Amino acid sequence: MYKYDHIDQTLVDQRVAQFRDQVARRLNGTLAEEEFRPLRLQNGLYHQRHAYMLRIAIPYGLFNSKQLRTLAMISEKYDRGYGHFTTRQNIQFNWVTLEDTPDILADLAKVEMHAIQTSGNCIRNITSDPFAGVAGDEYVDPRPICELLRQWSTLHPEFAHLPRKFKFAINGAKEDRTILLCHDVGIELKKVTEGDGSSQLVADIYAGGGMGRTPILGALIKSGLPWQLLPSYLTALLRVYNRFGRRDNIYKARIKILVKALSPEEFARQVEGEWLHIQNGDDNFTQAEWNRVAQHFTKPAYQNLVKLSDEQVIQMANQADRAAFAKWLERNVKPHQVPGYASVILSLKPHGSVAPGDATTAQMYAIADLADQYSFGELRATHEQNLVLADVEQAKLYALWQEAKKQKVALPNIGLLTDIIACPGGDFCSLANAKSLPIAKAIQERFDDLDYLFDLGDISLNISGCINSCGHHHVGNIGVLGVDKDGEEWYQITLGGEQGNDASIGKVIGPSFYADEIPEVVSNIINTYVAQRSADEPFIETYRRLGVTPFKEAAYKDKNEHTKKKDNSVTAGDAS
Amino acid sequence: MSQANVSSVIPAHEQVLHFPKGQTPSLAPNEWLIWSGDPDKNEDEGANFPPPDLEHGKTKVLVPFTWWIKHNNETDVASKAKQGQIGVWFTADEDILKHAELIEQGRTVWPLVAAHFPIFRDGRSFSTAALLRDRFQWTGEIRAIGDVLIDQLLQGARVGFDSFALRPDQNTDVALKQFDLFTVTTQNSWRGLRTTRATLSA
Repeated sequence: MYKYDHIDQTLVDQRVAQFRDQVARRLNGTLAEEEFRPLRLQNGLYHQRHAYMLRIAIPYGLFNSKQLRTLAMISEKYDRGYGHFTTRQNIQFNWVTLEDTPDILADLAKVEMHAIQTSGNCIRNITSDPFAGVAGDEYVDPRPICELLRQWSTLHPEFAHLPRKFKFAINGAKEDRTILLCHDVGIELKKVTEGDGSSQLVADIYAGGGMGRTPILGALIKSGLPWQLLPSYLTALLRVYNRFGRRDNIYKARIKILVKALSPEEFARQVEGEWLHIQNGDDNFTQAEWNRVAQHFTKPAYQNLVKLSDEQVIQMANQADRAAFAKWLERNVKPHQVPGYASVILSLKPHGSVAPGDATTAQMYAIADLADQYSFGELRATHEQNLVLADVEQAKLYALWQEAKKQKVALPNIGLLTDIIACPGGDFCSLANAKSLPIAKAIQERFDDLDYLFDLGDISLNISGCINSCGHHHVGNIGVLGVDKDGEEWYQITLGGEQGNDASIGKVIGPSFYADEIPEVVSNIINTYVAQRSADEPFIETYRRLGVTPFKEAAYKDKNEHTKKKDNSVTAGDAS
Repeated sequence: MSQANVSSVIPAHEQVLHFPKGQTPSLAPNEWLIWSGDPDKNEDEGANFPPPDLEHGKTKVLVPFTWWIKHNNETDVASKAKQGQIGVWFTADEDILKHAELIEQGRTVWPLVAAHFPIFRDGRSFSTAALLRDRFQWTGEIRAIGDVLIDQLLQGARVGFDSFALRPDQNTDVALKQFDLFTVTTQNSWRGLRTTRATLSA
């Protein structure tokens, strides 16, 4: 993975010093909270319901065991013994103090980490494929471009105060694992063959996607952009947004609203018009810059191994373990580019968990050891809030599974109904309208039968505590959104959302429910699927075949008349 | 200037922070009045909001660019401009690219231009300054005015501003220290090539 040189290290160290001074001015009263707020947000520091929350960047989800140990140390020393992996491949701590944050950031800087631009109205941490560099379906390893753009966007002065936050996702594989089209800018990398037979790395640029209040899938605005020109093109794109994005209404300030208002074609035309003037400038990347970064994304020291069949791997387990181990292989182990290796997903979604994506201090230390022992010391965080050991020898999978089980991160529920994506919700977040964590827990407890979950197969259930959609409910096959009505917490259900190459935004099925109704509603929806599916048909396909009606009828069949009436006045959603 | 029009004038700054390219930051007395242009917006109450005395006034005045568009051909305005006593300031929502010709002409007329920050967290004027430098090749002074706070200075200096009319409550000692907080950069700015490229091509 990328290794800081003196430039990166100097920048991060100086950023710590800058923030230390800003905090000192806040604490001595010369900097008002109102004016400090954007400064702390641009360094990942939120003020939540109970305390400050610090969100630390894990650029494109890639980190190492040494960094995880530092995160574990921070969770113990400055927080309450756990950290929360987020839906943007970052990690956050919920209980830090303002006074401690400069020291925490200094500790992070020692292991090449920071909290730069993990919040605020600026270019946020770039997300990418958690299987970058190892996925079997990869066209292009996106990590060098991710890192080049991480550096380009870091402390970018012109785009320090955009109308609203700005999120990049970058994909280089056949299957999209980044929710590319739900980002302000999605960059799809591919290789094209030039006339002379040489191969050129190019990017397709999608703009104006996003979740939140107005979920929209991004539109293609540029095809075949040579990678070197990304900085000038993105400068043009962000300049148009910075100048013309709405600033009068926070709910209309994202780039998607501008792109929609202008039309993608007109937005693309304006970007092109701006780019014309700067496309040949020295903003663009050079081959030397590529080399400086790409040298760190070489393949680890793989051994020459033979590819093992699933059956051969299963045979390595004790007889008594085989059934459970096979389940784990089926759900949590993914194919690898290199024979004899596999990628393993450690589930941070134990049933009845406190919060999807949480890891305790002890788990973090233990997982760091697993990374060292089984995967060249590297880890990846997924936007589904799990962790990946990307380079595990197939012959060591059984040993790893046994270790992972001890740490309670071996539940074979990846991609199943209980692999719930959820934001921290009203338990922590001051933006939330409703709690998400108790809903996730109640659903996990109701669907605690692994055989049943396996029978249901691939289903995503995502929960957001408010319309900001950090829990990605719009792209869950089943989405749950917390809404506030007259001070009460209600939950709206969407169906038909999907991530991946057939990404789609879920549709609201109708009036919302009380928290305690949700597990039953989910059961009713699931039962409809089970009754109506044809063989091996996943939930989303049954939904697409049948439409919303049978699911909607099932969802509301137990809703009592009183609640229905009470709820009629409430609008479903904020699709303004 | 009479007392009557004080409300139409953005408080004059006694000092302005200057940070010319390639030099060190310093404070200097301010010579420029920033005129808000209110009279145009309050024509019915015009009597209470006279514009600065353009003909006889000795003060150098930054006038709103929109006002300049309308009035630059008037005799007193042209005369004062000829003496190098009129500059323009751009509101944050001004689309300067729509007035390319006028800005081109202004290059030989205005001693300085300014871009306004209605609130510190509004970054539109960063792009205005960048465009003035990149597109219009503006080499003269560009001043940041309005809600200009200490923690915007570095960003402003990098996009193209070289003088800053800080909000009066800002501590100038702290302000002067903002410009050398970082010795490395990872993207180009008006002040120079990014370190990541400069070191590689060296």
